[in-house]
Amino acid sequence: MNSRRAVFLVTLVALGFLTVVLRLVDLMILEHDWLSQRAYRQHVRSETVAAPRGTIYDARMRELAVNRRVQSVFGVPKEIRNPGQMAGRLSRVLGLKKTALAERLSDRDKGFVWLARKVDEDTVRAIQAMNLAPEIGFVPETKRTYPKGRLASHVIGFVDIDNRGTEGIERIFEDVLRGESGRVMKGRDALGQALSSGEDNAQTGHDLVLTLDEDLQYIVEDALNEAVEHHRARGGVSVMMDPYTGRVLAMAVNPTFSPEHRARPENWRNRAVTDVYEPGSTFKAILAAAALEEKRVRVSDRFDCSEGVIEVGGRRIHDHKRLGVLTFEEVVQKSSNVGMVKVAQILGSETYFRYITAFGFGEKTGLTVSGEVKGLLKAPKNWSGSSIGAMAVGYEVAVTPIQVLNAYAAIANGGVLMRPYIVSDVLDSEGRVVKRFEPEAVRRVISERTSRILTEILETVVQDGGTAVNASVLGNRVAGKTGTSRKIDRQTGRYSRTRYYSSFVGYVPSQNPKLAMIVVIDEPKGSIYGGEVAAPVFRKIAEHALIYLNIPREDTGHVVLVSG
Amino acid sequence: MADPVLLPLPRFNRRFIVTFDWVLLGLVVLVAGLGILTIYSATRSLSGDIQLTYHIRQAGWLGFSVAALLVTVAVDYRWLQRFAYALYGLGLILLLAVLIKGRMGMGAQRWLSLGVVAFQPSEMAKIFFILALSRYFAEVKRPFGMRDIIRVSALFLLSPLALLVLQPDLGTGLIFCFIYAGMVLIVGVRRKVLIALILSVALAVPFLGSVFWSGLKPYQRNRILAFVQPQADPSGIGYQINQSKITIGSGALLGKGYLKGTQGALRFLPEKHTDFIFSIFAEEWGFVGSIALLMLFLLVLLRGLETAQMAKDRFGYFVAMGVVTMFTLYICINIAMTLGLAPVVGVPLPFMSYGGTALVTNFIAVGLLINVRMRRFQLFY
Repeated sequence: MNSRRAVFLVTLVALGFLTVVLRLVDLMILEHDWLSQRAYRQHVRSETVAAPRGTIYDARMRELAVNRRVQSVFGVPKEIRNPGQMAGRLSRVLGLKKTALAERLSDRDKGFVWLARKVDEDTVRAIQAMNLAPEIGFVPETKRTYPKGRLASHVIGFVDIDNRGTEGIERIFEDVLRGESGRVMKGRDALGQALSSGEDNAQTGHDLVLTLDEDLQYIVEDALNEAVEHHRARGGVSVMMDPYTGRVLAMAVNPTFSPEHRARPENWRNRAVTDVYEPGSTFKAILAAAALEEKRVRVSDRFDCSEGVIEVGGRRIHDHKRLGVLTFEEVVQKSSNVGMVKVAQILGSETYFRYITAFGFGEKTGLTVSGEVKGLLKAPKNWSGSSIGAMAVGYEVAVTPIQVLNAYAAIANGGVLMRPYIVSDVLDSEGRVVKRFEPEAVRRVISERTSRILTEILETVVQDGGTAVNASVLGNRVAGKTGTSRKIDRQTGRYSRTRYYSSFVGYVPSQNPKLAMIVVIDEPKGSIYGGEVAAPVFRKIAEHALIYLNIPREDTGHVVLVSG
Repeated sequence: MADPVLLPLPRFNRRFIVTFDWVLLGLVVLVAGLGILTIYSATRSLSGDIQLTYHIRQAGWLGFSVAALLVTVAVDYRWLQRFAYALYGLGLILLLAVLIKGRMGMGAQRWLSLGVVAFQPSEMAKIFFILALSRYFAEVKRPFGMRDIIRVSALFLLSPLALLVLQPDLGTGLIFCFIYAGMVLIVGVRRKVLIALILSVALAVPFLGSVFWSGLKPYQRNRILAFVQPQADPSGIGYQINQSKITIGSGALLGKGYLKGTQGALRFLPEKHTDFIFSIFAEEWGFVGSIALLMLFLLVLLRGLETAQMAKDRFGYFVAMGVVTMFTLYICINIAMTLGLAPVVGVPLPFMSYGGTALVTNFIAVGLLINVRMRRFQLFY
């Protein structure tokens, strides 16, 4: 072999090797980071592990919202050779349309599509029996369930398919309930076989203990629903509260909804805080409290209501009949519009307004349920000439039921406005208290003396000669006030002659109140007066609740024992 | 001159031991040993499946290969020269036999069953091909003209090529062509002929290419398409190339360490213990290890070239050059393939890839080198 040819051949081989070396530099040094990341990503997969959501308990640790372990079904279109056939096999079991399933399974670029979320155990077993792995798989998930069904659904709210709270307590306390989802690093080989898995560090969400009492809630809902049905009303609200602490013991809204099978979003609102109404006569207690506290009237002061009508700023305000000359006490007892307008005129708009705001109207109570509004309250500079008259009888002001109840609770407890609350404790997964909500006084509104005098006046409302004899409770004295207010006709913008809010708000036993409660019925048919529509509901609830709470009768001192 | 028709029995005396090329044997046994280690790493089980036994079988084949090498060395290569054409004929018969009575594997008919073991006749046919060409070139002592090219092609290349294409075994067929081209270049052709050849190949490529393309099996077309554009077919053969690059790339400078590689054991890289063993080796031993391995291969090749220069006759020279050419082609094509520099043609890495027939054949080829080297002083035998 001549040397030139040898050099040529060796050079050729050397060039070949050099190319290889350069390529090795390229892949192993220059592209190393990128390529090794790809390698890592191929066989180590980080999977999110959803943290179990916290439980919601009532005040006596009864479960109101819990988690159930369920499975969700997914498909792996990449692996599926015949989407049509697969869809056919699954459609019957899953109860889904074959064409829709086939379409989802046909996207061959995808390695994952949901087929059905949170299916029941029978479905899971049926699919598992078909042996469809690896084309079809399951993911364990938790499903939020509400063992008490519709009970307190407006308060508790609900979650979406991914367990995120969308309404109610579930939404407001989302951060507390949700917990921290964990990550598991899972090794797998090319065939998808799992090899190892790391520690799951998911943090269970915190539990909530509500102030609600399941039994009281049931009593209130039952009575409210029955009344709404009986009066063929559009709906209703009833809230029960401990007047000394602001703890909400029950909160019922009609129409109801089921948190797991919900329809009609208009029924999801917690109307005790989201919907405003003009309180009508129930507002007279606010004016009375202001006048008494300011010492502008005395209980025995006389007001001439014999005309049955009074003109304020060009508008005439009537009583339902001529009531003659009444004492201040009787004005409230018989709910005389004429008398209250005169009281308001004595008190003056500025002072009256100061008390309205002091009682919490025009601001949110801060109750931790979703959608609370602050209502509408005009400042005196925006009042018209007739406003003082309208405000005296509970018009030209839009309030929420919770605001009215909370104001009455202040009258009941000796004059201190409390911040109402509905969540009492946050517990960690071991049951330790992480946070406790304590009763919180907002401000003193009236003196204890005024509170005592007003309570005595409000007691007469429920006694013979008052407007709410139907609210009297066997064995215990009740203080309260009825309200019958016209709704505004949406079409005409004027007060309707046929549509009313009938309400009653009060507390029992009046001298040492355990319960403050409001009942508002929206558009009752037939009888429309608060004393006839709402007061009986109050009575029914109060009688059951007092027995349930083992509160002794004031007249005999006996405790009515709950049987059964 | 002694009658070379009789099998000249070797004398295992001191002379044999001194002249034997222990360096070359040591080199190839070392590479084969690395191969067995890598085969184990590539096929080891991480998921608790049954452990595969490829590494044990390969170790057995290595023992057999060394024995075959010693037998090859024992026979004087000039005796092989005498029977070169006969052996070439035997090779053709084997290739024919595999077509008639072969075993299918991986979409092609390449295996011939011999009771317990199966072997690939195309491997042995390569050795016989080199021997036959060497004898022919040794006896025709002039630069090749066009007529010689046509004659030699017709005599030696066409029949095995036809039989290989029918199997079909694209890789080995290509290797035959390359060995042939390499040896023709070594023999030397007239410059005019060389230029004419290159031109005619260049002109024929588009035409032959289309004929060739239409004659390819779908999987073969895929391989070429995937080489041109690996991303276009990420789940098929492009997957193989991508996985190979990923495997090599994750090795970095110093590698993940032996038995620390993941891509083979986790079954991401197909053909990990056969054609793509270099990728697994690179992942575990890194850039440094890969360069070291390349150096070992280079040493083997240089030792072969040296042997050719030392050969005492033209036949020995051509045999050595043929073997070196073959190894060079295998090493370069295989590694280029794993690096994504060449299409996936199914060419194993000599001494390392799993496969008994290939290992035995390669050791026999090394035996030929040692044979030529140790008999360079024997003027009379």
